[in-house]
Amino acid sequence: MSHDYESRWVYRAKWTYLLSVVGVLMLPVLYTLWISFNANGFGAAEYDFTVFWYVELFKNAEIRTSLAWTVLIAAIVVAITVPMGVMAAKFYQRTRFKVPFVFLMLSPLFVPADVTAAALLVYFKNLNRLVEGLIGVELFDLSLWTAVAGQITWCLPYAFVVILVTMGRFRPEQTEAARTCGADAWQAFWQVEFPQIRPGVFSAGAFVTILSFNEYVRTNFLKGGFDTFPTYLVSYMLNTGMTPEVYAMAGLVSLVSMAAIGLVLVVALRRRIG
Amino acid sequence: MNSVPAVEVDGVSKNYGSVSALKPTSFAVPEGRYFVLLGPSGGGKTTTLRMIAGLIRPTTGRVRIGGRDVTDQPANRRDTAMVFQGFALFPHMTVEQNVAYGLELRRLPKDELRDRTAAMLRLVGLTGFEARRPSALSGGQQQRVQLARALVLQTSIVLLDEPLAALDATLRKDMCFELKHIQESVGTTFIHVTHNQEEAMTVADEIALIAAGTLVESGSPREVYETPRCRFTAEFIGENAVFSGPIVEGALRIGGAAPFVRDAEPPLAISVAAENIDLHLQQPDLEQTLPGTVVDVFYLGFSALLHVEVDGGPVVPVRLLSKELDAGIKSGGRVWLSWDPDHARMHTA
Repeated sequence: MSHDYESRWVYRAKWTYLLSVVGVLMLPVLYTLWISFNANGFGAAEYDFTVFWYVELFKNAEIRTSLAWTVLIAAIVVAITVPMGVMAAKFYQRTRFKVPFVFLMLSPLFVPADVTAAALLVYFKNLNRLVEGLIGVELFDLSLWTAVAGQITWCLPYAFVVILVTMGRFRPEQTEAARTCGADAWQAFWQVEFPQIRPGVFSAGAFVTILSFNEYVRTNFLKGGFDTFPTYLVSYMLNTGMTPEVYAMAGLVSLVSMAAIGLVLVVALRRRIG
Repeated sequence: MNSVPAVEVDGVSKNYGSVSALKPTSFAVPEGRYFVLLGPSGGGKTTTLRMIAGLIRPTTGRVRIGGRDVTDQPANRRDTAMVFQGFALFPHMTVEQNVAYGLELRRLPKDELRDRTAAMLRLVGLTGFEARRPSALSGGQQQRVQLARALVLQTSIVLLDEPLAALDATLRKDMCFELKHIQESVGTTFIHVTHNQEEAMTVADEIALIAAGTLVESGSPREVYETPRCRFTAEFIGENAVFSGPIVEGALRIGGAAPFVRDAEPPLAISVAAENIDLHLQQPDLEQTLPGTVVDVFYLGFSALLHVEVDGGPVVPVRLLSKELDAGIKSGGRVWLSWDPDHARMHTA
C-alpha cells in the first residue's frame, strides 16, 4: 500500500525489505520442498516429479513409530499447555505484580535450549533417585512424561502470550454481568468469556502443536528410549548425510507446519467473513 | 408495605490496602423505592453499589437484603440484578439470548422463558430486535437490553451503575423519564448510581449523597435541594451562593457586612439558592445588603445566570429571568444582593 505523499524510494525500500525476508526465510524451505519431490534428488540435472521419497518414508517402520510418538507428545503437550496458558493469562489480569509475572512466564525463552534441557535432565535424574530411595518407584525416569515436561517449558510462554492478547479485548464487565445474572464463576467463564477468547485459544493450540512437533533439543535430552520425528531426522542426517529421504523428512515437517498455519488463517478469515 | 427494608447497609466499609474507598456507612432502602446514590467520581458510590451486588466484599460491616445477611454470598446467590455503564452485553449472543441468559441459568421451561423474554423486550420497546447482535444496536438500545436482562429475573432489587453515563444529553433525559416510568410500573426497588444531579433529581424518590468515602446526607430530591443540611450538599446540588466567615456578635461576617441570618448559632457557613437572591442596581433601602460586581452574564434562554463577586467575599451565582437583564445588568456593573432571611440555610458541616 502506498500513501499519497510517500516517496517512491521509500515505497521501493519497503518492497525490497519484504522480498528479502521472504527470500531468506521461505525460499530455502521451499527449495528443500521442491527437491524432495525430485526423483533424482539434489543436484541432479533433470527434474522428475515424484512422491516416491515420501512413500519410502512411510514404508520405514522406525519413521512411522517416531511419527506416532511425535503426534502423541504433541497432543499431550497441547492438552496441558493450552489450559495452563488460559489460567496464566487470567491470573495476569488480576495480579498487581504484572511485570514480575510476565518475566517469570517468559523466562524459559531467555535460557538457551541446551542449558534448559541439560538442567532438566540433571534435575529429573536427581529427583528420580530421590523418589526411588523414598518409595522404591522410578517415578521420574526419562520417559514420555519428562519429554512432555521439557516441551511445556518451551511452549507455555507462547501459549500465554497468544491467549493474553485475545483476552485483553475481553471486557471484565461481562463476567460481572454474568455473575449478576446468576452464573457461578465457572459458568461465567465457560459461557461468556471462553466463547470470546476461543480464537486465541485455538491459535495457541495450533502454535503449540507446531512448536511441539518441531522441538528437538529438549526432547532429545529428556525422551525415554524412543525417537520423535525430529530426533530421528537429526540422527539419520548425521549418519547418512543429505539423502533424498532427508529432504522428504524435512519436507514433511514443513508441510505439517504450513498446514497448521493455513488452518489458523482459514479459521480466522471465516470468522471475519461470518 | 413491608417494614423490613429491601436493602440494609450496616456499617459497611471498603479499604484497598491503606486506601479507604468507603468509610463505615449505614443506610436502609425501603421496598419499592427508587434510591439514588449521587456524588462526584471516586467518592465511593460505585463501591457501595458493588458491595450490595456482591461483586466486592466489604472490609467491615454487613449487607442485608430483605432482612437476610448476604455479606458472605457472591453476586449469583443474591436477590439482585444489575445494569452496568456499558460493554456489559454479551457480544456473541443475540439480544434475545442476552435477555434470556439469566433465565436459562435458572432452567426455566422453554415456553415460559420465551414469553418472559418477549414481555421484557416489549416493556423496554425493543420488540423486533430479538435476533440482533449488541454491536448492531445504538447506545440507548444497548442500555435498554441491559435493563430488560436485569428486570426479567424478577429480583427484588435492581442495581444500576451509571446506566446513562455513556449516552448523549438528549437521550439521557428521555431515558431518565423512561427508567422512572418502568420502575413505577414494576414496583421493584431500584438503586441507581450517578454523578449527574439532574438525572438523580429526575428519577429519585430518595437521594443519598456520597463523597470522599462518606454518606454526606440523604433525603427526597426536594429536601436535598431546598433544605440541604451540609455545606457539601449545598455546593454539589443545585446552584447555591455559599458564604463562610468569622462570626461576630452572633452574625456571620461577609466582607464588612453581617447579612441576613436569624439566630446564628455559630454556623460554619450559610447558603442561599441562586434563584432566591435578589439583585438591585441601586443600593436598596434595606437593613442588610451585600455590594458586589457582576463578573459574568450567561444568557440561558428562559433564565440567565450571573456570577457576582461580593466585595471582600466569594464569587456567587445569581439566577434571574432573562427579561430582567433588560434593566441594564451587564458585566462589570455594580450591584447589591439581598435575600429573605427565611431563604438562608445554615450549615454546620
